[in-house]
Amino acid sequence: MIETTIITWIIAIFGAITFLPLFSAQLVMILKPGSQKAKDLIIGKGENWRDKTHFKSALAFAWADIIIILPLYILGTVCVFNGQPWGYIIWISLGVLSIYFSILFWVLEKEYTYKSVGWIAYFTYFWGFFLYWGLGAIAHSILQLNN
Amino acid sequence: MQTYSLLDWEGAVKFGLQNESFNGDSVEQAIADVEKGIAIADILWAFPITIVAFIGLLNRKFIGFIAAMMVFAICVYFPLFYAFRVSMNFDIVLAALCMWAIPSLLGIIGLWMNRKLFNIN
Repeated sequence: MIETTIITWIIAIFGAITFLPLFSAQLVMILKPGSQKAKDLIIGKGENWRDKTHFKSALAFAWADIIIILPLYILGTVCVFNGQPWGYIIWISLGVLSIYFSILFWVLEKEYTYKSVGWIAYFTYFWGFFLYWGLGAIAHSILQLNN
Repeated sequence: MQTYSLLDWEGAVKFGLQNESFNGDSVEQAIADVEKGIAIADILWAFPITIVAFIGLLNRKFIGFIAAMMVFAICVYFPLFYAFRVSMNFDIVLAALCMWAIPSLLGIIGLWMNRKLFNIN
């Protein structure tokens, strides 16, 4: 059993703030892939898919997020609050993927979304939060597992 | 492979290290864009973690265990992402699942079963 701390709570709440809007947007993408709302949520207000490949990649990310990342986030958080070491391993896995995607989307999308949403939104909920959550979750999980 | 691709993308396409060229049609260029993003993330993030994992595991260090779990997480996720990309060739998806996802999943299970070697309870 690993005791939770105030930092565990902060990371869990920050994770919910970071991931829940993403999951909602990805759900819209899956349910109404061709809609303007999906475009507004995924690539920025008024923006359009660059081509079919861009659209298909976004749809693949949406499915992957809903089928893999969402269950892992829920499972990891439940395990963490049950004191299970596995929960921290799952948080580390999600953290590493979150950072990986932050780098990937920095390269792929920055020139489009940064202009569209502005720097505050970009460096917070649109992109930055995923990087910060990943770093925080990994650091905290390592410390918890190492204690 | 990824380092060479970043240094000379079109050269890497000629050698067969990458499939999509930036000189092709708009669809090919868009896929090349995604592949280049993946190459950059591999070099900046996945590659250093892999080095830490190798050294750490060989020395039975806690950080090696953690880094290996990180690498395995990437290797399990990406073949699944390719599987969701409907335009992806089925053979490539199958190869990615067999070469990366399944061995990495076994790696996660194996590491966890041997976690006591790394001082994890």
